[in-house]
Amino acid sequence: MNLLELFRPPPLDPMLKIVSGVSIFKECSRAELEALKLHLHERHFLAGEIVFDEGEEGEGMYVVIRGKLQASRKGLLKKKTLGVIKSGECFGEMALLGAGPRMATVVAEEATTVLAMFRPELVSLADSRPRLGFKIAMGVALVLEARLRRLADGEAEEPSAT
Amino acid sequence: MKPLPDDRSLEHPIIWVAVIAGALGSIVLLNAVAWLAFPLVLAVVLYYLVQPLLHRLQLSGVTPNQALGIFLAAATVLTVIAGLTVLPAMLNSLSEFQNQLPEYWGRLQLVMRDNLLSLENRFAFAKKAGLAAGLQAQLDHFIAGSGKEYIADVAIFLLHWLPSLLLVPFLTFFFLRDGTAFHRLVLRAVPNAFFEKTLILFNRMDNQMRAYFRGMFGLTMLDTVSLGLGLWFLGHGPGIFGFWDAMVLGLICAVFAWVPYIGSAIGGLLAVATVAVKAPQEGGLILAVVFLFLGVRLLDEFVYTPMTVGRALRMHPLITVMMIFSGGMLGGVYGLLLAMPLLGIFTVLGQMFGEIWFDPRLRARYQARGILEKRLASKDLEL
Repeated sequence: MNLLELFRPPPLDPMLKIVSGVSIFKECSRAELEALKLHLHERHFLAGEIVFDEGEEGEGMYVVIRGKLQASRKGLLKKKTLGVIKSGECFGEMALLGAGPRMATVVAEEATTVLAMFRPELVSLADSRPRLGFKIAMGVALVLEARLRRLADGEAEEPSAT
Repeated sequence: MKPLPDDRSLEHPIIWVAVIAGALGSIVLLNAVAWLAFPLVLAVVLYYLVQPLLHRLQLSGVTPNQALGIFLAAATVLTVIAGLTVLPAMLNSLSEFQNQLPEYWGRLQLVMRDNLLSLENRFAFAKKAGLAAGLQAQLDHFIAGSGKEYIADVAIFLLHWLPSLLLVPFLTFFFLRDGTAFHRLVLRAVPNAFFEKTLILFNRMDNQMRAYFRGMFGLTMLDTVSLGLGLWFLGHGPGIFGFWDAMVLGLICAVFAWVPYIGSAIGGLLAVATVAVKAPQEGGLILAVVFLFLGVRLLDEFVYTPMTVGRALRMHPLITVMMIFSGGMLGGVYGLLLAMPLLGIFTVLGQMFGEIWFDPRLRARYQARGILEKRLASKDLEL
């Protein structure tokens, strides 16, 4: 048995590994991700189940761990599909910055597991760990900045812009 | 406390009845398991008071567990120091008080009898009713029989209660350490459709309780200092109060003031009675104490309460008084103290329940999940 193995930290929780790949949390250290874990809620959705409705007051964001979801928006005559959200992607992050109506309806296309993070908990996390709170807020701001730039360039809306 | 966003949800009469029934039912329940509920309530209050300290420690770079460890070590050291210094002084004061009790009791009887006799001299109906003689008979009866029984009851009550107080630090420690994990565990049971709204409910309730308990702590401190300084200023000249005596009396009156309306009146009467017993000849001083209490009440109403507790728990005075009396009837001292905070919590619960349950879309989503589950379970069955 290699003695060095004893000093090696245990492998990162598989769910946190996926979270660490999401652009919003990319700057977070391992310790910060572990602290974040306490504020993430694991939810399971069945195929066809609605995660949230367009127009509903949003309170938080979701990271897809397993499965896929579809985002759509009401059109004048029929609903407009924005696209598919897959494992390792996040959606609803605008709600982390402020309460406002959701911009699309998100439905699970197959059995899906997500991790949810909500604004009140982000606020309390930022109270006790301001550095981590800043990193997450900055991550959300960067995602929104990139999205605004793409919209300004005339590119199509993203499914995660919910 | 922030105003609640959607008051329409409380318009439904069933919810109002449920809110009041829930608050009163909880008082009955808490009273039934009082030996556990008392330390539990104290631990919740301590949890909310200690949390900001832990946050401050965490801001200096320590982890939540390290912050809790530092706090526990500091609290233990402070308790030991207090045990070695303050406790003997308190025991001394108590034994002094016990020695002087017969003298105070005698003086109190004299003051009461003199006042009633002067009432009898002024008003014929009072003389007819024999107020002074009646009071004396009641006091004699109290001292001869039921008074002793009552004191024995109090002693048994204290012996019964003290061990359960040992639970307080134990419970507070686990609330502080595992509060977030427990919160997640409870939320795990909530159906997907109601999850976000329930989370808002939890957050709102948490904020309400935090604001209330921290506000009450601040209010108690402000009332204690105002009343204590006032009593000391009035009483140190004639030698009635030392500084610490005045502060302790101020603290007792401030604690009484936790019970809206009635508590302040009882606290005021207690202070007036103390002055009357210690200096029965100083009529002007008694009047000054009455004015001091009225002044602090006004300060409390217009400055301290808006500064600390806020006005979110302000119900209509009629509802407040009815709730307090009902709480007192159902749960004794418990009921008196907990009626208003419980009504506040159940009001938020009622509002949120109204928002969730009367939202047809959320209910439809919840039912749709049931249908999806059923379809999934019977997928390979020929129905």
